[in-house]
Amino acid sequence: MDKNRRRIIKSIGAATASSLAAPYLNLAHAQGSPIPLGVALPLTGNAGAYGPDMAEAAKRTAAKINAGGGVLGRKLELFIEDSESSAAVAANLSHKFINVHKAQALVGYWGTPEGMSSRPIAIQNKVVLMVSSAANAITEGDTQGYVWRFQLKATDWGTVISRATLNKLGFKSVGVMGLQNAFVLPIMKVFEEQMKANGRQVVDSLIYNPEQPSYRAEVERIFGKNPEAVYCFGLLPDFVSIMKEVYRGGFESKVVALSIMADAEGKFVQAVGPKVAEGIRHFQPMPDVAAPGYKKFLQLMDAPADRVLLFPPNTHDQIAITALAMEKAKSPMAVDWSKQIIPVGNGPGQEVDDVVEALKLVRAGTAINFQGAGSTCDFTPNGDQLGRGMGQWIIRNGKSVFVEYAKP
Amino acid sequence: MTSYLVLLGILVCFSAILALALNFQWGLGGMVNFGLTGFYALGAYASALFMLKGGANSFFAVVGAMAVVAAVCGLVAFITLRVTEEDYFAIVTLGVGEMLRLVALNEDWLTKGALGLTGVPRPFGDRIAPEYYQYFLLALAIALLLATLWFLNAVARSPFGRLMRAVREDDVVAATLGKNVLWVRVRIFAIGGGIIGLAGSMHGFYYQYIDPTQFSNIVLAYGFMAVIAGGRGAHGGAIFGAAAVMALLEGSRFLKDLVPALDSDQLAAIRIIIIGVGLIALLIYRPQGFLREYRLKVSP
Repeated sequence: MDKNRRRIIKSIGAATASSLAAPYLNLAHAQGSPIPLGVALPLTGNAGAYGPDMAEAAKRTAAKINAGGGVLGRKLELFIEDSESSAAVAANLSHKFINVHKAQALVGYWGTPEGMSSRPIAIQNKVVLMVSSAANAITEGDTQGYVWRFQLKATDWGTVISRATLNKLGFKSVGVMGLQNAFVLPIMKVFEEQMKANGRQVVDSLIYNPEQPSYRAEVERIFGKNPEAVYCFGLLPDFVSIMKEVYRGGFESKVVALSIMADAEGKFVQAVGPKVAEGIRHFQPMPDVAAPGYKKFLQLMDAPADRVLLFPPNTHDQIAITALAMEKAKSPMAVDWSKQIIPVGNGPGQEVDDVVEALKLVRAGTAINFQGAGSTCDFTPNGDQLGRGMGQWIIRNGKSVFVEYAKP
Repeated sequence: MTSYLVLLGILVCFSAILALALNFQWGLGGMVNFGLTGFYALGAYASALFMLKGGANSFFAVVGAMAVVAAVCGLVAFITLRVTEEDYFAIVTLGVGEMLRLVALNEDWLTKGALGLTGVPRPFGDRIAPEYYQYFLLALAIALLLATLWFLNAVARSPFGRLMRAVREDDVVAATLGKNVLWVRVRIFAIGGGIIGLAGSMHGFYYQYIDPTQFSNIVLAYGFMAVIAGGRGAHGGAIFGAAAVMALLEGSRFLKDLVPALDSDQLAAIRIIIIGVGLIALLIYRPQGFLREYRLKVSP
């Protein structure tokens, strides 16, 4: 080995060591120091459109709590990281939050893979995991009270969409296309069962793979049978390809989708143009926009009063419930405060929709029933969320026009 | 923090084992494996399924996974190289890798499809206390990495290693000297496949949850980055390469601690730029990689 090579190896070693030792430079969690919270959000990757607003909601909620006196007399400190919409990255982040930052709450976790990969880590380390993902499996089995969903679970999406179809939209024959994805399949299953049970014809149904260069064969198979409507369940990239094929083929069936496909913060219309998007109906779990908690959240975000934010309110509620449960348990340790999530979320107690007011009441020993921005923050014992509903929109002239709000 | 470094160490070890496998197949054997991700997924799924559905213990699950991936790799090499040239082999591996990923995604009855396999058992997971388990897994990962390195170095310095290089440099010359080029290549690809199976099994032990999204083509990119950065053909270099790639990927997350003014979404974008710039700089200033391939020295 020549000297030059040794020098290179030494410098690689030094660079590696310094990058890995970097966190020591900024770590000193003494008593009275801030309470760390790990926030994993999709800032890049296929769900990258949603992360930045969720990050902003997390920062503003923590700042509001800190300005109101913090939790247990300590400030909240957020460690916001990019999950890259990836299961493996999310798992690595969970390890970092727990072992480096000593976080007792892991919040964010937008997608099902991120939630599923971090679930065993949270349970093993006795740390609370709060997800925004929908797949039923996340809260199934023994979670030991450490896994909490701030989202409508997937089968409930299917229930709401089915009921709207049966009662309002009135399609007699439907086709179904679903992405091979853990949260889509339960929606499809419930929807098809409900259609058949109520005498509607499901002309055909298929599951397609992500990231295909074209969906022409799938589109021709389903739309070619001329159902009154085709229900597509998936994500934005595949739906853009599907709708381009539908437009090319000149098919007449109406299209119903999810808002993360057909709206996606306006990205769908940008990608296909208003002509292709015209008349598409889309559904998505959303906050109750009439709820005072949501209106206060819009003020916190400096957002217009008519703005519908789908995911940031969940992030707000995750941090608010964490703060309230810690305060009620008088402990920042998840093993203690995880047991207080249902008491502060479900009550019984005084209804309150402002987190700082709620913290004051908890400190005064008053029982509360917190009403969040994204939902009423009620939970089942296994961590599923109750009290969240779904919105329905229709695209007219490139804009999503709100139709109705319904709960499962 | 120590726990995190230990976990990062495990991550580096199994990434390095994967890089060693690729280095053996491509660096030493000259066989481009664009299906690395699919074979890696096959190893992870095979090992997990042997334990979850077959009731095997972790040792036999790993051996089984290595055998399955080695057999599939050997078969792919045998079928492809009998009828086509080396260049097309790369395209076939890409197709096979994608096929394996789609099988994992769609065959719900076996792999639970997009939902993935949860609760993947770990070696001695029921006998070692959870707070100490990561140290055991690190020790196991280091031992397996060193054993793999020793084995591959022994192969590289054996007569078969010389034959591998001969086939890589000019297969016509090797064939002219009476060597069975097809059989050599099948063995190279199968041995590398066995090691990919080992890395895949370690992936399952580490995450305890596997789903198809973990096996995207970024794994392939990182694998090639590690081998190129380490020095094509140099086994020791592949380990340095994998460590450097992981240090860039995970270490760059701590930039925010060093530069508090950096916002989370800014950091997300800057991280990717830094990783790219780091690799470009490496290729400019050290195009041959960190280490050189082992060569027999001829006495003057």
